[in-house]
Amino acid sequence: MGITRRDFFKLSAAGSASLMAGEALASDGAQTALNPNSLGVLVDTVACIGCRKCEWACNDANALPTQDLKAFEDKSVFARHRRPDAGAYTVVNQFSDPRDPSKKYSMKIQCMHCNRPACASACIVGALQKTPEGPVVYDAWKCIGCRYCMVACPFQIPAYEYDNALNPQVRKCTFCATRLSQEGKKPACVAICPNEALTFGKREDLLIAAHSRINASPEKYVDHVYGETEAGGTGWLYLAGADFNNTELPKLTATVIPNLTETIQHGVFKSFVPPLALYGLLGLIMHSLRAEKNGKEESRHE
Amino acid sequence: MKLFFGLAAQISIVLIVAGGASAQQPQGNASMPQIQGKINCKECHTCQVPTAKEPCLKQCPTLTMTHTKSAHALVEAPDSLLIDEIADTYQAVHFNHKRHAGMAEMNDSCSVCHHYSPPGHIPPCKDCHGNETNPNNLRQPGLKGAYHRQCLSCHREWSHDTKCVVCHLPSAGRPLSATGDDSTDIVGRPHPVITTPAKKVYDTPYKEGPIVTFQHKEHIDLFGFRCVDCHHQENCSYCHDIQRPATTSKTQEQVHAVCNDCHKADACAKCHDTKERPGFSHNQTGWPLNPYHNEIDCWACHPTGKKISRISRMCVNCHAGWNQENFKHAVTGLKLDETHAQMDCTDCHADRKYDADPVCKDCHDDGRTAESAPPGIKMQHRSQ
Repeated sequence: MGITRRDFFKLSAAGSASLMAGEALASDGAQTALNPNSLGVLVDTVACIGCRKCEWACNDANALPTQDLKAFEDKSVFARHRRPDAGAYTVVNQFSDPRDPSKKYSMKIQCMHCNRPACASACIVGALQKTPEGPVVYDAWKCIGCRYCMVACPFQIPAYEYDNALNPQVRKCTFCATRLSQEGKKPACVAICPNEALTFGKREDLLIAAHSRINASPEKYVDHVYGETEAGGTGWLYLAGADFNNTELPKLTATVIPNLTETIQHGVFKSFVPPLALYGLLGLIMHSLRAEKNGKEESRHE
Repeated sequence: MKLFFGLAAQISIVLIVAGGASAQQPQGNASMPQIQGKINCKECHTCQVPTAKEPCLKQCPTLTMTHTKSAHALVEAPDSLLIDEIADTYQAVHFNHKRHAGMAEMNDSCSVCHHYSPPGHIPPCKDCHGNETNPNNLRQPGLKGAYHRQCLSCHREWSHDTKCVVCHLPSAGRPLSATGDDSTDIVGRPHPVITTPAKKVYDTPYKEGPIVTFQHKEHIDLFGFRCVDCHHQENCSYCHDIQRPATTSKTQEQVHAVCNDCHKADACAKCHDTKERPGFSHNQTGWPLNPYHNEIDCWACHPTGKKISRISRMCVNCHAGWNQENFKHAVTGLKLDETHAQMDCTDCHADRKYDADPVCKDCHDDGRTAESAPPGIKMQHRSQ
């Protein structure tokens, strides 16, 4: 090995400096600020009565196979915890208050429409996009069916039409994006909720309203707005009367999930600095090896 | 009303002077809001300097005021309300306001539902809650949410039912309030008749006396307790919940709290025993009640509002007007014959000891007693 110890340190320092520069650039690009007018929904599980009308309204608005509204009065479905699937973008589940198991809380689950969605980050063709208005929307035409989004989502929301052999799609809550933008309406679930347990509005305003409800009735609510910081913030926010650990919402830190991967993956190709640095490093090694070889040959000739 | 505005303005001036310092209001004025702690003028007034003429009171304040409890009597409440905002979709809801107001008396009165009311009047829901959620105040639900939350917060707790038809009737139905409930005065306020249990027997973990027999009916009938005396600050579902668990997880302190209101000084054995106990009988006191006394309220003889204790057995203790002339001996169950009716009371009842056996030997030397040879005719009591 002709390379000296001193040379190796010099080279590796140069290489890592260029990698770090790339990383800084990458995270700059990823940290796009959320549109202040971004919309969201506040789900007040204390006010939710578990009537399941949102489930019907969602099916109806999204042309999903559904039953008569009256069929949704059936409470026996609460016996098990259901998950949203390709035929139902939202489901209501019931959970007990750990302090008083006779008390039941109902909680609607659906796509959280994250501020920095991991699904959109994982999507290699950009079929999932966070719109400036708030909804995370899906473009079936772009989708190649890789289902990376299903793996990436921390809430395990995107579902796949496994029973559709010809044109399967990824299905999840659309936030009624078309209803919002083209018809100027509220999402279907929000519009039907009799108890107004769902409040639709700007995410910023919803956070103020959520904290104000907690302050006004601290005996009713736990002091935690789920989604305010979880996974870097979500468009849909939750209030609850008991600890969220008991619910289906996963315990998440404020870490923006795409940052975990994008820093590395985007960093590698950002501004072509890392590839150039890598080739530069290899070039230097080759150069030094050749110089050493030439030197040896010269000495042999002498 | 004029007086009220004057007072309201006075308070506001005091508040301005105090600059948001703790508001101390004079006691005893029912129409004035009773506000605890610090308060900003703008909570109630829209202008900078409210005056008597222009108090500029907010229609919808966002500050809980407890004046609703003291300043408004149940009689002022409207009897029933017709909620028909969406009469084209659903049949109008006939809301029995007075009965609900009566039930609210068991809790925080009007403010149970009318959470924010400006001084002087209680606005209906729709004065503050708009048809749609106000985008500038997302904390406040719209009218639909406001109505449903008020109704369902209690109704779903006991029925566990959220079907629309609980309140909204299909077009062929008839209004719910037309069922003609018997508004009997049970809790001091209108409430349909409540069936109370005669007794409750508890099996407790206390080893030396696991059985506690609570004479529920006795506490109502004998001691004159009203429901609210023990069942205070209990929500509707405490009684109405159809799925209420038989056992509740209460601490030892919570379990005893309701009894301790009266029985604090008593020993454990007052309630705890190894077997079920019979209810109270006046025979235990050594004074079996005659059929007349048996029918009257405890408080007719025992002083009202005090712990029941031994009272004098002298008839005149209660029957103060009785004397030799007007006393009809027949009420004792013995109608005196003519001879004995002529005599003085003390001839037979020595030293006016009416609860002791009468003395016969002063006149009769054949050893007779009032039992063996009654001095008259024994009466049949009406209740026997």
